Amino acid sequence: MKLYKKEGNILQVLSFPTENAEKGDYLLVEDADAGKALIAQVIDVQFAAVPGVLEELLRTLPDGGQPIQGEDIDPMEIAPHITYIQDASLLICKIRATLENGALSPSSSWLPSRSQSTIKKLSIPSLLKLAKVDGNLPIILGGTKDSSLLTIDASAIDGTLNIITGKKGCGKSHLSKLLMASLIGYKATVVVFDLNGEYSCLGMTQDGKRNMYYDKIHALTPAQNFKVALDQLHLNVVMGILIHALHLPGTSAREFRRIWKQLKDRGDLTLSSLGEAIRNLNCNQHVRDALASRYHSLVNSGFFTDVPAEATLLEECLLKAKEQGGAIVINLRNTSTIDRQIVVEYVLGKLVDSLQSWRLKAVFLFAEEAHLYLRETYWDDIVTRMRHFGIFTTFITNQPDTIRESIYRQADNIFLFNFTNEHDLDVVSRAARVDAETVRSIARDLPPHHCLTLGRVVHDFPIVARVRALDLKTMGETRLFFTQAN
Amino acid sequence: MVIEQYTITTTQKYNFPQPTIDTTLPQRFLEQSLHSLKQVQSAAPFQLNQQHIQQAEEHPSSLQLNRTPIPLKPNHQETTIAAIDTSTIKIGETPTGIIIAIRGATVWKQNRKYHYTRLGPFIFHITEENKNTVYNTLERAYFTTRYETPHQSAPNLMQMPTRLASLLERWLQTMIAKTVSDGLILIDGSLTAGTIDTPVHRMREILHQARKNRSTVLAFSKATTLRVNGYLITDQLPNTEPPYLLETTGLRFKPPTVLQGDVYVARLNKANYAFRLDIDREIPLHQRLEAVEKLVGNDLYTQGYPETLRLAHILCTFTANEVLAMQHFITRKHGIRLVNRPDMHRLLFGPFSKGEAYA
Repeated sequence: MKLYKKEGNILQVLSFPTENAEKGDYLLVEDADAGKALIAQVIDVQFAAVPGVLEELLRTLPDGGQPIQGEDIDPMEIAPHITYIQDASLLICKIRATLENGALSPSSSWLPSRSQSTIKKLSIPSLLKLAKVDGNLPIILGGTKDSSLLTIDASAIDGTLNIITGKKGCGKSHLSKLLMASLIGYKATVVVFDLNGEYSCLGMTQDGKRNMYYDKIHALTPAQNFKVALDQLHLNVVMGILIHALHLPGTSAREFRRIWKQLKDRGDLTLSSLGEAIRNLNCNQHVRDALASRYHSLVNSGFFTDVPAEATLLEECLLKAKEQGGAIVINLRNTSTIDRQIVVEYVLGKLVDSLQSWRLKAVFLFAEEAHLYLRETYWDDIVTRMRHFGIFTTFITNQPDTIRESIYRQADNIFLFNFTNEHDLDVVSRAARVDAETVRSIARDLPPHHCLTLGRVVHDFPIVARVRALDLKTMGETRLFFTQAN
Repeated sequence: MVIEQYTITTTQKYNFPQPTIDTTLPQRFLEQSLHSLKQVQSAAPFQLNQQHIQQAEEHPSSLQLNRTPIPLKPNHQETTIAAIDTSTIKIGETPTGIIIAIRGATVWKQNRKYHYTRLGPFIFHITEENKNTVYNTLERAYFTTRYETPHQSAPNLMQMPTRLASLLERWLQTMIAKTVSDGLILIDGSLTAGTIDTPVHRMREILHQARKNRSTVLAFSKATTLRVNGYLITDQLPNTEPPYLLETTGLRFKPPTVLQGDVYVARLNKANYAFRLDIDREIPLHQRLEAVEKLVGNDLYTQGYPETLRLAHILCTFTANEVLAMQHFITRKHGIRLVNRPDMHRLLFGPFSKGEAYA
């Protein structure tokens, strides 16, 4: 390989067919005299502009159609050299760092010698070693192209905002399960908003046996094994549900607050007494009707109960998970939009409550397609306020434009799967920790189950890896009509 | 009982009886090429074609052009058309000489399809020391053994590329003349003989072989210097619907240069281009016209030039990519380092320089 051009932080490197450099590979451009080296990543591979190639191609198509038949008697065997030159490629590389005296710096301000520099491929293990991507809590994400493992440190996900995105069916949920399982392994508390009911069976292996996570997965299905009694609820949580999920107007909210306090003072905070209190409320008819309709929504959700035995204490699950690590999977699969919002409001309110009072240290929240249940104001809450309480969110989506630009700007880690749509790539490339060229060029060509990892976990060295398989019952597969019966 | 039959090749290359082809010359080319490269412990490539040399050597006198056109009627009778061309290029300089490459191409149209054979490239390192050996060895390899001509002296260093290419071209023409029967053989250039690289007997031999196989040799010149009344003969076209030929008379050269063909101006389609066409003068007029009519009826024409000959030229020409590949080859395989001599014109005159070719 030969250094051809440098423009800004883009390097152009001439490469010959035997050198096999591909998108995503890292190169070390070493200038021995300067005692420095550039670390650059190949973001595009193009044909080198070899003079005469067009003529070469044109003369094989004289009729504009069928290639002319013939024989080349090449006694000196020049043809392989012609092919060698003709197939030379130009590697467009993004400079990621400068290596000087064993230390990395993000600078690309110096110019290595074009004639004296040596260029060689930098293996991922060597890069990770140089970048000091290691730690005591390794999570093996998968295998890289050069058959090495991409291992990140769990502490690099701690306190961060993460996004897992890619088009449908390319392995996003699989990666989130991998991260989740690894975090549980390190005794972390994980809460999952499971939109499609695919995380519930993570305690089982693919062949239906119990695995090491069996006792740590707490699957809660609203209105089934996940119900709450009103007296377990804090007024703020209920008000949050009424105002944000059920859109209760301000005047009615004031009346509800009064009723709630009266019932609580009487020690009679049940659904039936709440219904009775609303019916007997002496106030404006519209206010009473508004409260009655919200009351019926709460009752119809099936999420609230007056039977203490039916009530599941979310806090108990959280405390259990806090002690030995575990995941509380909130299964939202068969839940209506309104009920989903009620449940999410409740869970988030409860989490904030537990974290504020230090009953919980921190929670890793995995939210699939969050736009379907997260109210507008929660987005900023999650990335700013809740982060300080200790809610570290990972958004998983196949519609990147449903996540606000401000979220991308603050994302610490992005796990990017294949996208072919330009618009989707544009959205993702707004993230502060990536450059648009890398996202556009590499993500477009990612094969299924391959993920471009960007951000803090890889110390800002974007790395492509094939996400490793998991022996978990994932249940995330799409149900098909044309499945072949065994 | 023995059934006598011709040897028919299975490839599309020559679908007609083939005599045994003497491959001594290409073998010597390869030997001399490798030998010359071993003797070595860039300049811009400069590509040459044989025609430049031949044109420069013509000194006609009393040339007349008959402006009454001989009309041609396209004859679509299936006819094999074969064309030959060679090319040479200087691919660099060494401290002691020059590195050149030579390649030849034959193209033939048969059953409405084009086929080709390319021979080469042969790469030579030519120095003052080895030029005589290289040239004379190649001369003797095929031609001199037959005609017992006196020992030829090697041309100067700068003429070597075209002279070596000329040797290969005449050999290819001879092979085609021997193998194609009832066809048309298209040559790039003229049928002028007696020049330093085309002895009379060599041209006669090619034409004789062609006639023996009932083939006609047609030589097309892309550019001519022949003038009548001060104007190029190809510029004096009558206002007549093509295709047609214009006959010339009175063309004579100073000895030892002689013409082996009669010279015509050929305008073969509506494109406003005409070419000098030399036709073997030993064949009767009606056969000459029939040959050109078959050419018009069988070969595609681009700008009035036979497609087969155009392809032969295209196929033997070196592209920049190939020059790079050959430089790569000689550096890697033979460890030859090319010398980058400064372009003195550019050095002295800067942007006012037009390059060596215009010097």
